Amino acid sequence: MTLEDWYRQDRLPHIYCAGCGNGTILNCTLRAVNELGLVQDRTTFVSGIGCSSRAAGYTSSDSLHTTHGRALPFATGVKLVKPENDVIVFTGDGDLSAIGGNHFIHACRRNIDLTVICMNNNIYGMTGGQGSPCTPYGAITTTTPYGMHEMPFDLCAVAEAAGANYVARWTSFHVKELTEAIRTGIETPGLSFIEVMAQCPTSFGSKNKMKQVSQMIDMFRTNAVLKGKAERDRAAGIPLAPGKFIVGELVRRSNPVLGGRP
Amino acid sequence: MTDKTEFLNGNTACAEGAIAAGCRFFAGYPITPSTEVAERMAARLPKVGGTFIQMEDELASMAAIIGGAWAGARTMTATSGPGFSLMMENIGYAAMTETPCVVVNVQRGGPSTGQPTMAAQGDMIQARFGSHGDYSIIALAPSSVQEMFDLTVKAFDLADRFRTPVFLMADETIGHMREKVILRGDVEIIPRRELGSDELPCKPDANGVPGFGTFGNGHGVHITGLTHDERGYPATDSAALHENLVRRQVGKIENFRNEIADVDIVNPDAEVIFISYGAPTRAVQQLLADYPGVYGHFNLRIVWPFPDAKLAEFRAAKAFVVPEMNLGQIAREVRMHTNVPVVTAPKLGGALHSVDELKHAADVAATATGTFTEVLL
Amino acid sequence: MKLVIDERRCKGCNLCTQVCPYRIFQEGKRPGPRGYVIPVLDHPERCTNCRLQIMYGRQLCGMCQMTCPDQAISWIEEKPYEAHKVVIEY
Repeated sequence: MTLEDWYRQDRLPHIYCAGCGNGTILNCTLRAVNELGLVQDRTTFVSGIGCSSRAAGYTSSDSLHTTHGRALPFATGVKLVKPENDVIVFTGDGDLSAIGGNHFIHACRRNIDLTVICMNNNIYGMTGGQGSPCTPYGAITTTTPYGMHEMPFDLCAVAEAAGANYVARWTSFHVKELTEAIRTGIETPGLSFIEVMAQCPTSFGSKNKMKQVSQMIDMFRTNAVLKGKAERDRAAGIPLAPGKFIVGELVRRSNPVLGGRP
Repeated sequence: MTDKTEFLNGNTACAEGAIAAGCRFFAGYPITPSTEVAERMAARLPKVGGTFIQMEDELASMAAIIGGAWAGARTMTATSGPGFSLMMENIGYAAMTETPCVVVNVQRGGPSTGQPTMAAQGDMIQARFGSHGDYSIIALAPSSVQEMFDLTVKAFDLADRFRTPVFLMADETIGHMREKVILRGDVEIIPRRELGSDELPCKPDANGVPGFGTFGNGHGVHITGLTHDERGYPATDSAALHENLVRRQVGKIENFRNEIADVDIVNPDAEVIFISYGAPTRAVQQLLADYPGVYGHFNLRIVWPFPDAKLAEFRAAKAFVVPEMNLGQIAREVRMHTNVPVVTAPKLGGALHSVDELKHAADVAATATGTFTEVLL
Repeated sequence: MKLVIDERRCKGCNLCTQVCPYRIFQEGKRPGPRGYVIPVLDHPERCTNCRLQIMYGRQLCGMCQMTCPDQAISWIEEKPYEAHKVVIEY
């Protein structure tokens, strides 16, 4: 089993726009899966609706591309019937936190043994760039033409509060760290939530003064604050600057798990 | 396993039927008047190696049983009208992805929250046409506690044979009524046809049903609610492919509507024929006992797909009377398949039809001339 | 080993030009077969993975391959093996 075998080769190239971060996240996921030596027949990818959720269709193992927001309950069904399977969920910020918000909270509360990879591109990409619950305050989208006037979700904080066993945040720029986080997430029993900030140059960057992919990558590089530094800053009384976000492994614990390996 | 005779309510008998049929995964959400199904499953499933989970809502329940079905189990959920409405999204998904699963709908008065503790049959059209797009499903209607058991078993077999969601359209009366029920110990389970190793996951066999690529069996299938080709890959821009797919999925059920028909045909030479399903069947049976040989009776245990050819067996029919606990939902379907006058005898609010009311409807029907008449009870 | 860009997959986003520590990938000038402007390789023999994978027996660096959203970057076997002169710039 090589890395290439995890891709459904006859479906590539995929439908993502040039420079989309989702392809990178797919790479990191499959690399982590391959490094862990997971068995293809015992691995299931589940996804909802949106750009992120097309990723499941580019993996060569069994994959379930479901309805909008419902990937987690579908995955719950798969996992409870086949607890020996590794079930990995691809989802996006709109899919997971808007229409699927309730399912997200309850999957974390149950601490069911899934790995949830959220490709957070701050926007609804597939429908053409509408504002999502993760759109930063003030950002321009097609449904917030005068700037987003609602506060965004902190998905990792939600996952932590709801009870997930493993929570991490990285960006599509931090490929090595992301791969490592996905590896750890798959290995950790219970719900592992990995939020990945992904660039959407087509719908988000173009409206928010980041017309080039490189500008979005630079934004991730400059705005990502490592967890250790953020904690030191907080201890020193320095608040997180606006627009910055914390990356790193945010939670790792061993609360009781639903649907763990028999 | 030997048969067991018990005195149970319909919902409990339904859960026992599911266990007997090999259902090993149940995801549900509490709702009156279906909750006893979930309660019984919660108590029984862990003892037979199955899994029960109470989900956060009916959307999730329906999603979970579809996921569970793809992982290889026979799966079921139970709900009532408001929950059924929430499930519609994923019922369409199950139809498009051809996922076998069983949904029990113990109907109550609607629309909206309506009458939680009263019987109705108001979801019959929703069961057939509730989700968006063109598809077909199978819906069964039990009229006794024994049928709650038997038809639940049958629902699983039909779901696996046709790879479709199957609805058990019970109502509050049947769900909460207690009767003697024989829990059969000899239920034969016909497994799904597994996808062959050289078969494409969405290529149908001669009956229009593809093999089932259970997750974990090495098929590497991709399942999507998008219009897909025979490999299961999204192919949303071809009109011909979409039409073929939808027509095939509808046809695989509708073409067998008369073959799988589960009906009682009583007094086929009568002139006034009652057509009923579910709880009103019991009132019609009483009427036929009180007036022997006068009326005909067409009792449907499978309502959808509607067995239209069976109607022709009532050769002398001068009128069809359709007593329903809704405003004539199946009466309209009957009207589509006959030129004989159709009399709809609706009753809302939860009270069952009385024999006198049915007699009155029959008297109206005997002189009915219009193609579609409503009789007020 | 030899570094290659699959022209049937590359969409010309130029992310590889940003992440390669050796700046092997340079923005291209001419459109490829699908109309995308494919990056060009500047002295790809400088790539660590090309040079040292055989010696270490595992993939080294790999930033470009992991980052490439279009799965267009890979290494292929070179046969027969050609010795490359490596220019190290200080």
